Amino acid sequence: MSRVAEKLRQLRIDAGLLTGSSAGGHSSCVVPASRASASANPTVAREPPRLDVLRKLMRQREEPQPRKLDAPAGDEIAPGLRLVERTFNYEASATLVVPAMGDIAFDRRRLLCFDTETTGLAGGVGTRAFMIGVAAWKDGQLCVRQLYLTAIAGERAMLQMFAGWLSAETILVSYNGKSYDAPLLKGRLRLNRVSHRLAELPHIDWLHPTRRVYKEHLPNCKLSTIEREVLHIVREDDLPGSEAPAAWLSFLRGQSSVNLGRVLDHNRQDVITLMRLGDHLVSKLS
Amino acid sequence: MATLMSLANEPVVQDSASASVERLVERWASKYGDRITGYLRRPAQPAVTADFPSELSDELREALERRGIEALYSHQREAWDHVQRGEHVVVVTPTASGKTLCYNLPVIEGVRQAKAKALYLFPTKALAQDQVAELLELNAAGTLGLRAFTFDGDTPSDARQAIRIKGDIVVSNPDMLHQAILPHHTKWAQFFESLRYVVIDEVHTYRGVFGSHVANVIRRLRRVCAFYGVSPTFIFCSATIGNPKEHAEALLGEAVHAVTRSGAPCGERHVLLWNPPVINPDLGIRASARSQSMRLARHAIRAKMKTIVFAQSRLMVEVLTKYLKDVFDHDPRKPVRIRAYRGGYLPTERRETERALRAGQVDGVVSTSALELGVDIGALDVAILNGFPGSIAATWQRLGRAGRRLKPSLGILVASSQALDQYVVRHPEFFDSAPPEQARIAPDQLLIKLDHIRCAAFELPFLTGESFGDSPADDFLGVLAESGVLHHEGDRWDWIADSYPAGAVSLRSVADGNFVVVDRSDGRQTVIAEVDFSSAALTLYEGAIYMIQSSPFQVERLDWEGRKAFVTRTTADYYTDAIDYTKLKVLERFDGANAGRGTSHHGEVHVVRHVSGYKKIRFYSHENIGYGPVNLPDQELHTSALWWQLTQAVLEASFASRQDALDGFLGAAHALHTVASVRAMADGRDLQKAVGSGDAAWFATRDAKGRGQWREPDGQAGDPERADVFLPTLYLYDNFPGGMGLSEPLFRSARLLVREAMMLVESCDCTYGCPACIGPVSEADEDARATQRECAAAVLALLDA
Repeated sequence: MSRVAEKLRQLRIDAGLLTGSSAGGHSSCVVPASRASASANPTVAREPPRLDVLRKLMRQREEPQPRKLDAPAGDEIAPGLRLVERTFNYEASATLVVPAMGDIAFDRRRLLCFDTETTGLAGGVGTRAFMIGVAAWKDGQLCVRQLYLTAIAGERAMLQMFAGWLSAETILVSYNGKSYDAPLLKGRLRLNRVSHRLAELPHIDWLHPTRRVYKEHLPNCKLSTIEREVLHIVREDDLPGSEAPAAWLSFLRGQSSVNLGRVLDHNRQDVITLMRLGDHLVSKLS
Repeated sequence: MATLMSLANEPVVQDSASASVERLVERWASKYGDRITGYLRRPAQPAVTADFPSELSDELREALERRGIEALYSHQREAWDHVQRGEHVVVVTPTASGKTLCYNLPVIEGVRQAKAKALYLFPTKALAQDQVAELLELNAAGTLGLRAFTFDGDTPSDARQAIRIKGDIVVSNPDMLHQAILPHHTKWAQFFESLRYVVIDEVHTYRGVFGSHVANVIRRLRRVCAFYGVSPTFIFCSATIGNPKEHAEALLGEAVHAVTRSGAPCGERHVLLWNPPVINPDLGIRASARSQSMRLARHAIRAKMKTIVFAQSRLMVEVLTKYLKDVFDHDPRKPVRIRAYRGGYLPTERRETERALRAGQVDGVVSTSALELGVDIGALDVAILNGFPGSIAATWQRLGRAGRRLKPSLGILVASSQALDQYVVRHPEFFDSAPPEQARIAPDQLLIKLDHIRCAAFELPFLTGESFGDSPADDFLGVLAESGVLHHEGDRWDWIADSYPAGAVSLRSVADGNFVVVDRSDGRQTVIAEVDFSSAALTLYEGAIYMIQSSPFQVERLDWEGRKAFVTRTTADYYTDAIDYTKLKVLERFDGANAGRGTSHHGEVHVVRHVSGYKKIRFYSHENIGYGPVNLPDQELHTSALWWQLTQAVLEASFASRQDALDGFLGAAHALHTVASVRAMADGRDLQKAVGSGDAAWFATRDAKGRGQWREPDGQAGDPERADVFLPTLYLYDNFPGGMGLSEPLFRSARLLVREAMMLVESCDCTYGCPACIGPVSEADEDARATQRECAAAVLALLDA
C-alpha cells in the first residue's frame, strides 16, 4: 500500500468512516505495525507524502490483472463495444395515429423504441448507461438492436452508434424516458463530445398515458406490472432491473458473465414490450 | 490617477452626531471609568476617488450616474484595471466601502460586450439575494438588459432549467456549486462554455475546514471549466484579514493581485473595551457581559443612537431582544423600535427587518453573526459586542456595522468571563496593534482531498498522472478503486458506483461516520439528532442524558458499529458529564527549536481519548450525585501538533516538587491554548491542549480542585515522584484526523506564544489563578509552597527565550 493510501486508511478509521472489520482486519483500538515502527524512530525525516516512481511501478505490477471473460452475446464492433441484433415477427398496421402526436397518421417505421440499462439511479453525470436497446419495425418484423459495453473505453463508440441511429424522421418511444433515459444519455453524449439530435426529436413517453388509464386498477405502473397484468406477457427467468448494475460490474471486473446475458434478455423484452404497449394504448385511447 | 476629494453628497463632519458620541463616552467614562480598559480612536478618512475608466460603456456610466455615482473610489478603479489585464484579484476593504462595484463593473461590461457569463458565490443565501437585488436595481437604473438569478436550495425545479440557459449572472453558494451544479455540469454546458468571471465574496469566512473544502470545490470547478475550454478570471472579496493575497492564492492555487487600499471615506471611530466589574476577586468572577451590554444599549438608544447588539448565540439574541423590548416596546400602539435578527427566521421576516433597518425605522437590533457579513442594513451609530467574537478580524467586522460614510461611530466590546475575552480586554495595546488574524486553510488535508477527488471523479474521469491541486491524484484514485467506486482501465479512472458522492460530503465538516440518535419513547422510532463521530463517545454513552432543545433524553443502548444511539424521554433532574483522558504519543518530529531552557517541536502525534465513566450532576445546584461506568473503544486521532518540553534536570532545579511542575505545565497549557486560539483564528474546539509524557507513558489532568494529577496510561491516579523519568510535555494539537494545518504556523511563532502567555498570566488580576489565565482553580491550597499561578509563570519563564 502506498504511504498516502496507508495514511488515508488510518485517518478514515480515526474519523469513524471505516470500522475495524472493514479496514482490513485492523481493529480501531490497535496502532498498526507500520505506524508503531515509525514511532520507534521519531527523528525520521519527513518524507514527502508521494510515491516515488519505482514504488508506483511495483504496485502496478502487483495489481492482479482482471480475468478476461467471454462476452455473453453479439459481435465486437469497436474496442469495448458489442452489438446484438435479433429480428422478430410483428404483424401490425404500417401507419398509426397517436392521440398525443396530433391526429395525423404516421409511418410506423419512424418509431424507435429505446431503453437503457444504467449503473444506477443516483443521478448526476457520474451515472452512465452501459447498454442501449432499440426496437424498430419494418415490413412485419421487429428488429431489436442492443449495444453494450465490455469495457468503459467503448462508451464513446456506443453513443456515436446510437446517435447515428437517430434520423431527422425518428420518433422516440420510451417508458419514463423523458425524465430518465433521455436526460441521462444527453449528459453522457455531452461528456463524450458526441453531437446528436436527441433534444430535437419528438418523443412519446408511454408512462403518463399508462398512468392515466391504469392508475386506479393496478398496484403500480411499473412496466413489468403493466406487461404482466395488461399485455399478459410472461417472462421466464427475468433478472429484475435493479440487479442490472451489479451484473454488468461483475462482468467488467472479470467475475461472471452469466447475469449480463440475463440483462440483455431483460432489456430486449423491454423494448419489444414498448411497441406492444403502444399498440395497446393507441387502441384503448382512440 | 487617484485624486483626493470629497463627494458632494458626503458632508465631512456631522457635528451633532460627533458631539453625541463623545458625550456618551464622557458620561460612561466618569461613571464607569474602571470598567473601560481601553479607548481607541481611529481618525476619519476622506474619500480617494478616480475617474471612470475610458473603456466603460456609456450605458453603464449613465446607470451609475443615475444612482448618484459620479466617480469611482480608488480601490474600485484599481480592481478594474487589474481585471482588464486578465489577473485574478482579491479586494480587501472595510464594510460599506463599495466592494460590490469592484466586481460588478467588469462583469456587467463582460456580459454586455462579450456575452460572457458570471458565477457569484456567497456564503449565505441572504447575501446572494441581496446581491441580485442590487444588480437588478443597477439594471433598472439603466437599460443594461442583465439577467441575474439566484440559484440555491429554494429555487423551484421548474425555474432551474431557465436559469441554466438564460442566466447571465448566476448567484449561488459553495454548497450548491458542490452538490447541485458541478455533479450536473452537462446540464450547465452552455453556461460553462461562456463562463468568464467567478466572483467569490466574503472569502474570510472560507477558512479552516470550510475553507479547505471550498478550495477543493474551486479545484473541481476549474477542472470542469477546462473541460468546456474556459479559464475564468476570479475576483475575490474579503473583510480585513492579515493575509488576503496568500489566502486567495491558497483558495485558487494561482497568483492573485491584492487590492488593499480603500478609497472609501469613513467617519471617526471610537472603540471602548469594557470589562464587567469583579464580584468575587478570589475566584475572578465578574458580573455578566449580558447585564453590561443591556445597560449600554439602553443608554445609547435613549441618546437617540441607532444601535446594534451582537450576541454569540441564537438563544442570547432572543433573551437580549426581550430585555430591550420590555424597556422600549411596552406600548403596543406605537411602532416597534427593537428587532431581532438571526438564522432560523423565515427569509421574508429577515428581508422585512433589513428593509426597516435601511429605512431607519428601527432604533435597536439584536443579531447573531448573521449581520456581521455584508447584508445591507444602512447606517447605524453604535455597535455593542456582547462577548468577544473569537477573532480580531470578526471584531472589526462587527464594529464596522456602526458608522457609514463620514458619520462618527461608537463600538463597545463587552468581555465575558471566558479566557479569550478577558485576554483581549486586558490588553488594549494588543487589540489596537494586532494585525488581523491570518486565515488558514489546508486544501491538501488528506480526508478532505479524498472526498473531493471522489466527487471530481464522478464529474469527469481522471487520467493517470492527472493533477488535483499541485500533485497527481493517482494514490487517491488507487484508494477509491480499492473501495470499488472507481474502475481503472488503461490510463483512465472512471466512476462506477451507484451513488452521488457530493451528497455525502458536507463542506462544513471533515467527513466522519456520524451517529444518529433514535428516540424510542412511546414505541416510536424517530431519528431526533445526529452527532459527530468524534463527540459520540463523550455524549452518547449508555446512561448519558442527551439534551435537545433543553428536554432531556436518556441513552438506553449504544450500537457502536451501527452508529446508532437509542434514547427515551426522561424527567431526570440531572445531566451527565463524561470523564475522559487524553494520551498523546509523538510519532514523527518534523522540526524543532530551542525554547528558553527547553525545546519546542512540531510533528505528527497519535492521540487516544478514553472515556472511563461519567458524573451525574444535578440541575441548578450543580452538585455531583453519582457516577456511572462507560465501556467504549478508545477514540484515536492521528494529527499534527506542536509541543514544548523541559528536561528533568531543569525542572528539578526550578521546582520544589514534581507536583508543582505538573501544576505549572497544566496552567501554562491553559494560557498557551488561549493565546494560540486567538492567533490561529480557531474555535477552541479545533485546537486542543494536553499535558503528558512524549511517549504516552503517563499524562496529567486536573482534579476537582484544579490541582494537577498524574495518571497512568489506564487512567489510575499515580505519584509523579515515583517515576524514573520525568519529562512533561505540553501539547497543542489540531482536533481533526490528519490535522488542519493549525499547528505548523503556531510552531513558527512559538516564541511569541510563550511571551504572550506570560503576559496573560503575569497581568491577571486574580490571586491564585482563574479561568482567564491558567484555568479554573477552585480554592487556594493552604499547603502549597507556591500558587498554581506562580508555577505556571515559572514554566513559561523557563520556556521563554
